[in-house]
Amino acid sequence: MSTLIEIKSEDDWSNHTSAIPPTALQIISFHAPWAAPCAQMRTVLETLASSYPITEPLSTSWVSMNAEELMDISDNFDVTAVPYLVLTRNNEILETVSGSDATKVREAIEKYAKASAGIPNGNRSSAAATTGGNVATNSSTNTPAVADPATAPQHSTGDVKEDKEELHKRLTTLVKAAPVMLFMKGTPSAPQCGFSKQLVALLRENSVKYGFFNILADDDVRQGLKEFSDWPTFPQLYVDGELVGGLDIVKEELSNEPDFLKAYSVSKSTAV
Amino acid sequence: MASQSPMEDTMRSKIAAALQPTHLEIYNDSHLHAHHKPMENSTSHETHFRVVVTAEAFRSKSQPARHKMVYALLKEEMAREGGIHALQLKTKTPEEEEALIRKEKEEKGTQVPGASVGAA
Repeated sequence: MSTLIEIKSEDDWSNHTSAIPPTALQIISFHAPWAAPCAQMRTVLETLASSYPITEPLSTSWVSMNAEELMDISDNFDVTAVPYLVLTRNNEILETVSGSDATKVREAIEKYAKASAGIPNGNRSSAAATTGGNVATNSSTNTPAVADPATAPQHSTGDVKEDKEELHKRLTTLVKAAPVMLFMKGTPSAPQCGFSKQLVALLRENSVKYGFFNILADDDVRQGLKEFSDWPTFPQLYVDGELVGGLDIVKEELSNEPDFLKAYSVSKSTAV
Repeated sequence: MASQSPMEDTMRSKIAAALQPTHLEIYNDSHLHAHHKPMENSTSHETHFRVVVTAEAFRSKSQPARHKMVYALLKEEMAREGGIHALQLKTKTPEEEEALIRKEKEEKGTQVPGASVGAA
């Protein structure tokens, strides 16, 4: 399975590009460490990459780079916002995707990857099952679990019962995807709800490292999670796979016990 | 004459009946959210509420458990189209409420921690 490689320098970049065949699809992701959606996008890409086998000759190449550190390269590609995805083949830009819409990213990649070398193991399920956002986690070993290929390759509701079980399984994994998991409306950089926004701010103030999931982008999770945790509202914060509650509870816990989330804080503000 | 606040009335009577609270306040914050996108097709004036409840029934229950008790009472209203969209909860036992009032008196000028909960 393919992996997402981090390009650290211009030399790295030129070495890399000269090594891949002109038929290969280059998947280039630009990120900035301080932008939470980038961490999410990284996970999405890592997950996707893992479902593409490494072939000979190489059919897909997955790289990520820090847009600010490698400014010449990002300027070249006209990167003005992160996360930003560029798809090229033979040094020709095929498509770009700006922003953190995981579905768009996946679809774009699949579109061009098919032309490259056969169809990857039809794993629409991986990112499809978790559209709208994966998690920002520092342990990429978690990711494959989140992207567990569902038995239902389509996003359809063929067998309702099976879907429910699948969903349940997916949710069980999802809530544990990071030690602290926030299910919110929108994303930390673009919250779509005042309560989600406040909770994000609270987590940031306390330098908490967390993964997030945008429930607005995935209605299955949105409705499923309500049943799963017997909790009707969002945002929902989970710590070590257990529901802590919504904004008011987290606020209360923190005011009673300032070290409430101390164990999960970071000293720097990097999201990954 | 029909009540202007049927939802609030329902909430009040359900919570009172089930929890026998010593203190119950219901605030309708719907007007604060009326202009938000998710609310653009709403015709209800009773979508966002803030509830403060003090009851013995909450003793030795965790906050999430207490909130679930209230959610359970209002399950239908929250699931209903055009029903309760968001519910903020502050759930305390009489002792906790006491302690909080005392604490606030000590720290005069401290704002009462506004409850905030998510929207369905």
